[in-house]
Amino acid sequence: MTHLEVENLTSDYLEGLLEEGLRKVVEDHLNVCSSCGEMVEDVRRAVEMCHAAPELEPSPWLVKKIMLATVGERKPGWPERLAAFFRPTVQPRIAYTVAMAVFSLSIIVNAAGINLRHLTFEDLNPLTWASRANRARHVYAARAEKFYYDLRVVIEIESRLRQLRSHPEEEQQAPKQEPPPGGSTNTAPPPFPALAANQTRIVEMASTRAVLHNGTLPPPLIESVRSQNP
Amino acid sequence: MEQEQELLDRCLAGEDSAWEALLKSYSRKIYNLCYRFTGRAEEAEDVTQEVFIKVFQTLNSYHAAQGSFGTWLNRVARNHLVDHYRRARKDRVTSSLEDELPEAEQLPSPHMEPTGQVESRERREVLQQGLDKLSPDLREAVILRDLHDLDYEEIAQVLSVPQGTVKSRINRGRLELGRVLKRMEGMRGPVKAGNEP
Repeated sequence: MTHLEVENLTSDYLEGLLEEGLRKVVEDHLNVCSSCGEMVEDVRRAVEMCHAAPELEPSPWLVKKIMLATVGERKPGWPERLAAFFRPTVQPRIAYTVAMAVFSLSIIVNAAGINLRHLTFEDLNPLTWASRANRARHVYAARAEKFYYDLRVVIEIESRLRQLRSHPEEEQQAPKQEPPPGGSTNTAPPPFPALAANQTRIVEMASTRAVLHNGTLPPPLIESVRSQNP
Repeated sequence: MEQEQELLDRCLAGEDSAWEALLKSYSRKIYNLCYRFTGRAEEAEDVTQEVFIKVFQTLNSYHAAQGSFGTWLNRVARNHLVDHYRRARKDRVTSSLEDELPEAEQLPSPHMEPTGQVESRERREVLQQGLDKLSPDLREAVILRDLHDLDYEEIAQVLSVPQGTVKSRINRGRLELGRVLKRMEGMRGPVKAGNEP
């Protein structure tokens, strides 16, 4: 094998692409030819240097430069614009202020009875806000009053019932009520004599509650009141 | 491959974000290729930018049947580098190895400051100077094979030459690079390869 033939086969030899027989012939030549051995060693080192060379990092603005040169100034999309708009609100101090403002606004809107889905010109008038707020105040006050009275009646009934259950001897001594003369068809004795004794009071309280609640007495109560007070 | 094709379709549809994603994927590779050809960071950046402007203008001419997008991109870059080299050759004074010796002597000696970083930088510069000494045909073959790890078939596609020519150029390029590096080493002392202790 000549020096030139070894030179031509150097890359294939180093990459292990030579057939076994040919590789043996090349190695035999390299063992006896120092200049060819040196040449192959130089190439091997050069290839190793190439493989070991680190990949270079371009400057960080290269992509932006190319973007600018190709598509121009990139217009931000809606999500990016919104994010940019709300970016300051992410800071804790401003976020707290914004939250308080939103909370206050929601209270005002709620008190003014403004329906944000169906806004009218009238809704924008501060006088309308005031009148609606006034009305809302009265409605809430009435509801609170009614709730208070309802609660009072219920508590009173419960306390009476508790009292009757805790003193069963009173039930025995309770006077048997005469059926009301005329009118009543309800001849069955009441299941609890003590309760029957206080039935008038309970009916009164229930009537008050019903009146507070609906403004009218329910038919069973009217019947019961009639039977108690002919 | 499908994701790449989808990205290309989005680029062709005019989606800026897709083009940006494509740039982020390939700009580093093309920059390295350009740097190995030009040997200067700023020039490599300029050429990289020109390559991608060309890609942006001719992206619709790419078809998957021609091969992978990476190979097509390398071919566009290589053709542009050849044009760039021809333009720059008139302006650039090619210096001989001896002319560059004073510059080479300015490199810090490994005995003076034997840190890994300095050695790495020195190796890179020595290699780049060695590559600069090769003829463009041999240089591009060696760069694509040994620095970009392309196989013979891909290199043949990029260079638009037969595989036999590619093998021959790579072999001659390596032989030449080995000789050049040895001469440089003789002038300023041994330079270790990357994986040598």
